Amino acid sequence: MRYLLGRTLHAVFLLFGVSLLTFLFSALTPGNYFDEMRLNPQISRETVAALRAQYQLDRPLPVRYAHWLNAVAHGELGFSFAYNSPVGPLLWVRARNTLLLTITATLLAWLLALPLGVWSASRFGRAPDRVLSWTTATLLVIPDLVLALGLLILAVRTGWFPTGGLASVGFENLSPLHKLRDLASHLALPVAALVLTTLPMLVRHVRASVAEVLDAPFLRAAVGHGIPHRKLLYGYALRAAANPLISLFGFSVGTLVSGSLLVEVVMSWPGLGPLLLEAILARDLYVVIGGVLLSMIFLVSGNLFADVLLYWSDPRIRIAASAK
Amino acid sequence: MTPPRRLTRWLVALVVLHCVVAGAGFFAPYDPVEQDRDHPYLPPMRVHLMDVQHHFHSRPFFYPLRLREGSFDQYQEDTAAAVPLHFFIRGADYPLLGFLPSRAHLFGTDGTRIYLLGSDAYGRDQLSRILFGGQVSLLAGLLGAGVTLSLGALIGLAAGYYGGWRDDLLMRTAELFLALPWLYLLFALRAFLPLTVSPLEAFLLVVVVIGMVGWARPARLVRGVVLSVKERDFVRAARGFGASDMYLLRRHILPETASVLLTQAAILVPQFVLAEMTLSFLGLGVPEPTASWGNLLASLQQYSVLVSYWWMYLPALAIVPFFLGYLGLASALQQRAGTYKIDEQSSWSPT
Amino acid sequence: MQPLLRVENLVKHYAAVRPASPKDKFAALDGVSLSIPARTTLALVGESGSGKSTLALCIACLEHPTSGSIWFEGIDVADLHENQRRLLRPQMQLVFQDPASSLNPRWTALEIVSEPFFVQGRFSKQERGDRACTWLDHVGISRKMANRRAAELSGGQKQRLAIARALALEPKLIVLDEALSALDYSVQAQICNLLLELQSSLGLTYLFITHDFSMAAHVADEIAVMDHGRIVETGPSEKILRSPAHDATRSLLAATPRVPEAQPTLVNS
Repeated sequence: MRYLLGRTLHAVFLLFGVSLLTFLFSALTPGNYFDEMRLNPQISRETVAALRAQYQLDRPLPVRYAHWLNAVAHGELGFSFAYNSPVGPLLWVRARNTLLLTITATLLAWLLALPLGVWSASRFGRAPDRVLSWTTATLLVIPDLVLALGLLILAVRTGWFPTGGLASVGFENLSPLHKLRDLASHLALPVAALVLTTLPMLVRHVRASVAEVLDAPFLRAAVGHGIPHRKLLYGYALRAAANPLISLFGFSVGTLVSGSLLVEVVMSWPGLGPLLLEAILARDLYVVIGGVLLSMIFLVSGNLFADVLLYWSDPRIRIAASAK
Repeated sequence: MTPPRRLTRWLVALVVLHCVVAGAGFFAPYDPVEQDRDHPYLPPMRVHLMDVQHHFHSRPFFYPLRLREGSFDQYQEDTAAAVPLHFFIRGADYPLLGFLPSRAHLFGTDGTRIYLLGSDAYGRDQLSRILFGGQVSLLAGLLGAGVTLSLGALIGLAAGYYGGWRDDLLMRTAELFLALPWLYLLFALRAFLPLTVSPLEAFLLVVVVIGMVGWARPARLVRGVVLSVKERDFVRAARGFGASDMYLLRRHILPETASVLLTQAAILVPQFVLAEMTLSFLGLGVPEPTASWGNLLASLQQYSVLVSYWWMYLPALAIVPFFLGYLGLASALQQRAGTYKIDEQSSWSPT
Repeated sequence: MQPLLRVENLVKHYAAVRPASPKDKFAALDGVSLSIPARTTLALVGESGSGKSTLALCIACLEHPTSGSIWFEGIDVADLHENQRRLLRPQMQLVFQDPASSLNPRWTALEIVSEPFFVQGRFSKQERGDRACTWLDHVGISRKMANRRAAELSGGQKQRLAIARALALEPKLIVLDEALSALDYSVQAQICNLLLELQSSLGLTYLFITHDFSMAAHVADEIAVMDHGRIVETGPSEKILRSPAHDATRSLLAATPRVPEAQPTLVNS
């Protein structure tokens, strides 16, 4: 228990650190949202000044940070200049879309990686394994930007999939089944892009961990006991190989918010990615900080989640932790 | 293949690829910023050896493209006017290796321009732009990796050697940086700095920004090496002769970190090239008219381009052989060092 | 005549790895005193963990004792400023147990032996090479071997190299921390021989640390027995061997493998 408490505290510190860093950053760098406005001759100086005062941009940095911390403690994340609305709801809508995309992609990737990796490990060095290794190696060499753009072009030229957005026009009028189909067709491309970029590495990790375990004496003893092959692979080998995979899973959970940034922008998926990019370009400070913080929360929680899972699943860690 | 030979194979391949890009002026037929407004979005032209009358020509030639009757973006070959290809021709000026003036090009034509990979909205030759763009992107990646590794090595050495509170502080900071989503950090870093700057300034900015994002992992690795070497007896023995800290770091400890740094370099360079591509693609990197692989792809953000002009995607493929080369090099280096761990090749991000 | 080396009440504490309380520490040395007259050999015998290596490191000024004093030729070493100590370092050198770790495997034999000159900033490059070759000759490493990397040498050659390096600065005192323990018996005998020769020709003083009583008896004039950070018994070799007074001494003696027909005979190298 103390172990987990310690990790949680650690995580909170990390969050503080990041928020401070981001704030500091914005202060040290030139330019802010209202610079653009100032250049516009139609808006009077007084209006700009009044707006700045309203958003407290002329107060010193520590004051602003303190105010912001206070707001966060009350559940508010600040105010967006560009959208003229509170940051919280803005992020929430987009975050939901992002999570829809990433959760689907992550689940799919893991559901494919585990059997593929285990199967590959069980046929280590033989033809099926080598074919898979070659495929993953090829996929690894193609960066995500290239892959995403390539898929987009494919979609456009074949017309099989829509090339952007979450839903077609007239979505509301569709029957539930058709709504699902429509959603699925919109999800297909971004999910494919995400899965194809993360799957190769996952398969490699699973294969490596399981292959290492398959050599172990205890497994050979199990074979000697006559345990059926499939149960051997999944019940014994995979469980023993689980530790690094659990950490990896935690990492997958951690990147649920931040990992799809590029894909979302390229494929026009209305998630956090495009919002953040816009906000950065427009210097919409609180949106940026809110977005960074949200992704950090996920990252940190992901690691924490992995720690908890490891603690729960591996008795060696429990013993080591309680010995301290 | 024995490990040293594998290593050599990848190294040679990479060197060849880099030489082609470095010699962009020679391999490219045209200047990358030279426009030809009469021929926007021309598809790639084909080189023929056999003409329409089935006569064989020893000198390759191509047919210029003319607009099809009644359309405004459909082209067809004008088989009446064959234009021969010349090799080792004198063409536009360019600085070889950045300072030697030269006019030699591998191939080219007198008159009608040949667009082997098509042209863009302003009629600029895509092949030339890809080659010159490679110079920018690769250089950004190499320099960025240089910055990151220098920073990481310095910090890792200091943390590992001096230990104590310095070590704690530096490693906690490293943990912080490792915990940040790197793409977000990259964008935020870049975008909070002035957006409209000259191409050179933008380039330097990109290099610095990329370099500062990824120092944490090399720093940790270097620190690990330092910690293990510091306790070895030959370091103690040298101290026994009266060696200073600087001497120990320089002559005993630093050489041990070389292998780790080299492997990290092979992993980081392609990641950083990709980072530059991503930044430029989104308008945060090297601006027009300077070509970089990233901003060559920027036009794909328009739906019309996606639909009709597929050859604008080709710059994206240019990076793939480089990725392959660096990945192969990295794995060969790791196998040679006996430290092949699958973790080192995690996803295309420094974190 | 004052002894070359005198250690008085040396104490060395290390912080515990898993401190149960802030004051938790481990006493590697718990009040060690000894003295070595010039040109003699003192053997320090004890089990692993008795603190022998810690003592060696403290004497060679590679660790700072928690308390106590070390007198070298009448000078209190602990009292000195690091710059002054640096001047004194060449006088006392250490040969480590594991030559694979104490020699940088990437360096050649010549580089390793020249390193002390380089660090001390003495002599020109040419002279450094010449002097290094001389020392290599002294320990019996041929010129051919001189340009080989340390990793390519055998265990015995490595240890000779380590000795050559220790001799380079012409020290008065050499501490040998289990320097022969990692070698084969026959090689041990050769190196032992070498050490004795060098002692008589160069007038060296040795602190010979070992866990092997028979070797100690062979090389040393006096033996000191160490147990749990303290010296429990000292005296001339013969006396200790024949009539050990302390329990620790007795158990160590009992554990030493004895080949019938007494002491190992030296093979002339």
